[in-house]
Amino acid sequence: MLNLLDTSFDHCIKCNVCTTRCPVAEANPDYPGPKQAGPDGERLRIKNPQLYDEALKYCTNCKRCEVACPSGVQVGTVIQRAKAKHGGFHQGPREFILSHTDLVGTLSSTAAPVVNVATGLKPVKTLLDKVLGIDKRQSLPKYSRQTFRAWFDPDRQTKFERKICFFHGCFTNYNDPTVGKHLVAVLNAMNIGVTLLKKEKCCGVPLMANGFFARARNNAQLNLGQFADKLNDNNRVECIIATEPSCAMTLRDEYPEVLQVDNYALRDRILFASAFIARELADGNVPKMKPVNLRVAYHSPCHLIKQGGVIHTMELLNGIPGLEVVMLDQKCCGMSGTYGFKKENYQTSQRIGEAVFDQLTTMDVDYVVTDCESCKMQIEMNTGYKVLHPITVMAQSLA
Amino acid sequence: MKYDVIVIGGGLAGLTSAIRCAEAGLKSVVISAGESALAFASGAIDVLGFDQHQSPIEDPFGHIKQLPAGHPYHKIGTESLRQSLAFFQAQMAAAGLTMGSHGQINHGRLTALGAMRPAWFSQKGAHTFSLAAPAAGIRHVAVVNLAGFRDFQPTLVAAGLSRQPGFADVAFTLADIKAETLNINARNAYELRSLELARTLKRDLFTQPNGLHILSSALQKAARNADLVVIPSVLAVAGGNDLMVELEQLSGLRICEVATLPPSLPGMRMAAALQQRFRHAGGLFLEGDQVLGGHFEQNRLLSINTRLNQDISMSASHFVLATGSFFSLGLVSDRHELKEPVFGLSVNGTADREQWSEECFMGGGQHRFSHTGVITDASLNPCYIGQTINNLYCVGAVLDGFNPVQAGCAGGVAIGTGWFAAERIISAMAHTPVRQVQEIC
Ligand SMILES: Cc1cc2nc3c(=O)[nH]c(=O)nc-3n(C[C@H](O)[C@H](O)[C@H](O)COP(=O)(O)OP(=O)(O)OC[C@H]3O[C@@H](n4cnc5c(N)ncnc54)[C@H](O)[C@@H]3O)c2cc1C
Ligand code: SF4
Ligand code: SF4
Repeated sequence: MLNLLDTSFDHCIKCNVCTTRCPVAEANPDYPGPKQAGPDGERLRIKNPQLYDEALKYCTNCKRCEVACPSGVQVGTVIQRAKAKHGGFHQGPREFILSHTDLVGTLSSTAAPVVNVATGLKPVKTLLDKVLGIDKRQSLPKYSRQTFRAWFDPDRQTKFERKICFFHGCFTNYNDPTVGKHLVAVLNAMNIGVTLLKKEKCCGVPLMANGFFARARNNAQLNLGQFADKLNDNNRVECIIATEPSCAMTLRDEYPEVLQVDNYALRDRILFASAFIARELADGNVPKMKPVNLRVAYHSPCHLIKQGGVIHTMELLNGIPGLEVVMLDQKCCGMSGTYGFKKENYQTSQRIGEAVFDQLTTMDVDYVVTDCESCKMQIEMNTGYKVLHPITVMAQSLA
Repeated sequence: MKYDVIVIGGGLAGLTSAIRCAEAGLKSVVISAGESALAFASGAIDVLGFDQHQSPIEDPFGHIKQLPAGHPYHKIGTESLRQSLAFFQAQMAAAGLTMGSHGQINHGRLTALGAMRPAWFSQKGAHTFSLAAPAAGIRHVAVVNLAGFRDFQPTLVAAGLSRQPGFADVAFTLADIKAETLNINARNAYELRSLELARTLKRDLFTQPNGLHILSSALQKAARNADLVVIPSVLAVAGGNDLMVELEQLSGLRICEVATLPPSLPGMRMAAALQQRFRHAGGLFLEGDQVLGGHFEQNRLLSINTRLNQDISMSASHFVLATGSFFSLGLVSDRHELKEPVFGLSVNGTADREQWSEECFMGGGQHRFSHTGVITDASLNPCYIGQTINNLYCVGAVLDGFNPVQAGCAGGVAIGTGWFAAERIISAMAHTPVRQVQEIC
């Protein structure tokens, strides 16, 4: 059932706990904080939509407010919905390029060598900065010449009796297929085959962040239709798996809560990769692994915390022989997808991330591990550490 | 997924238990639905503040035997209570939070309403008064606000304090240091809560090389040589106590910071310190998920399910229920009953709604609901459908048998029972091989 009239904001006791946890309110005085932007503002907006506060655009949708609220108010979601309903988004070419990841990805992958060199050049970066407002201090993600889908060979998966369907997302497909390849290796080593959707659209995270809600809703409907085809197919696909925490959160939670697209019938079968793997490990399906002998620092992405998934990734990592895991303080890195790329957010994004960068500089580890590609970019850019996905570490240990 | 210990609730009680378990090498996880009562608490620890006639107590340990029979202190015993407090103090010190005390007696701590509450530990930034003679050496108190902060009213502090023993003849100076004096951009001062003021000060004042000097001179000017300067706790969360010490040295004043309406910065410091200690001991803290129920078999709890992971159950050898009282939803009421919502454990609430509270809410009488809680045996094990559950321990505010506000014993009960449960678990697990503990970071 869809909860169309959410009144969770009425449970707010005005304790301000959410504001104590909001990384944006801490870094940017222009943002009024989740209590005002969420439950307080909602009352005003219901009365008069013109009371919508433009400053809501600063919210990164990290959901930390929601995780901390002792009264169960869906603070972040209230804000997301208000943005969807009232937000006057500026939608110039920059927003289009940053958000239409699948379209731009298709174009860029084809011309990957040229695009990668070009976007790394100083004059191009200055141009992007001046013309589009994409901050030149940010390194842009590279594009992969061969997409994940082009690399993937379905014929090699037919021999497995068990099957899952991998929702690869835009980044794995167009920018860096590494994690996707590693997921296939890990699952195959666990005697599980991988299939892909016939057609996959961007989950909608960057679209929503840039105000393209109608487009995101279309994508949601298309993806859910594809999921239904896969899961109801009689060649028994167990579930849909995503390796990107924000994709998983969106497919499971934001579709019904923000986009109001009903996924009730399928939701339980959409899983974050480490949730699936941790459950397999617990059930005794452990692939052959050799010790990796590494010491790594684990950074937990906001959207994984929100889904209650940190425990699964920790289980997965703890299951890898010879891996010593040090958990970082669970702070936000500040990148938040396309947020940190925008010139006007660059400083806020860096300020938010400082705590993570500072903690890492005091540590002596071989690698940083995190599940999120956007956290990875931010941490690599600011600390000099190489960042690995948990699935990649597991793939390295396969015997 | 299998753990040695799963702690449900990440407040003072749950984290004390969890830190002790993790330190002993047990694989421990804390699942907490949201922020605990610590963000609202004073950041001081009360052990036992008042006797049954509501008179302040100097020697809490001496009074424990006079507590009503069901009080949790009787279950854990005085010795455990002492050990738990020493453990807690050492943990806080290791996280850089010095908890001061007056040796073996209570001291007085000042509240934002000018009341004096007997406490056992206070943070360095708070002045600790002698309970017997709180006004000793004090003839002039300045109560100074910052930037018109609305959650601190100097008039109320002064009115309350002047009613305390010995304060009748003390002179009071009330002042407010304007935002302009501090060069801070407090935009809409009416919207600033304590933490937002701290963030503004950090950004606009303390980043200036002479920021602390500006504040110090402003305080000197406002305080007019008072023997004690009372300010709201708004300067800083992290490092807030050290900042107070620096400020005292710089200004030559004796300054006392007072926790304000939520969020309480001293409370937040304590929450951060506890979480840090747990992480350092190798524990896993999961926030934002809610335990919905469990699977029992005879007199054991085998596993639990959470809202976010409904189809994956988490099992453990031992469980600790530290879900707090009504405020944290560790206890709930509906039209007909008071209950423990996670497992449906037996509670001692009466079915008669009329009797839950006194007619006059602030009349000073004892409300029945504040005695309500989970019934446990001498080992803090609760009862589930007539069976005592031997591997589930209840700790902190979820327990029955005490009125934390009236007796002034909330902190002591949380720390004492949390530690006690951990000791029980550790000795029960002693037969099973224990992992090597690693001090990390
Ligand atoms: C305003 C205020 C002032 C105080 N001042 C003082 C003081 O000056 N001195 C003193 O000694 N003490 C003080 N205390 C009390 C002190 O903080 C107590 O120790 C505390 O209230 C009890 O701690 P607890 O850990 O039992 O519960 P709580 O702190 O209430 O924590 C319970 C936790 O459990 C979580 N939870 C609940 N249900 C679930 C579930 N189903 N699944 C997962 N998690 C769940 C909650 O989200 C919460 O985080 C004060 C308390 C308040 C509210
Ligand atoms: S934390 Fe929850 S209850 Fe507290 S102010 Fe924020 S939304 Fe309201
Ligand atoms: S979602 Fe994140 S950025 Fe937005 S209000 Fe909540 S805590 Fe702040």
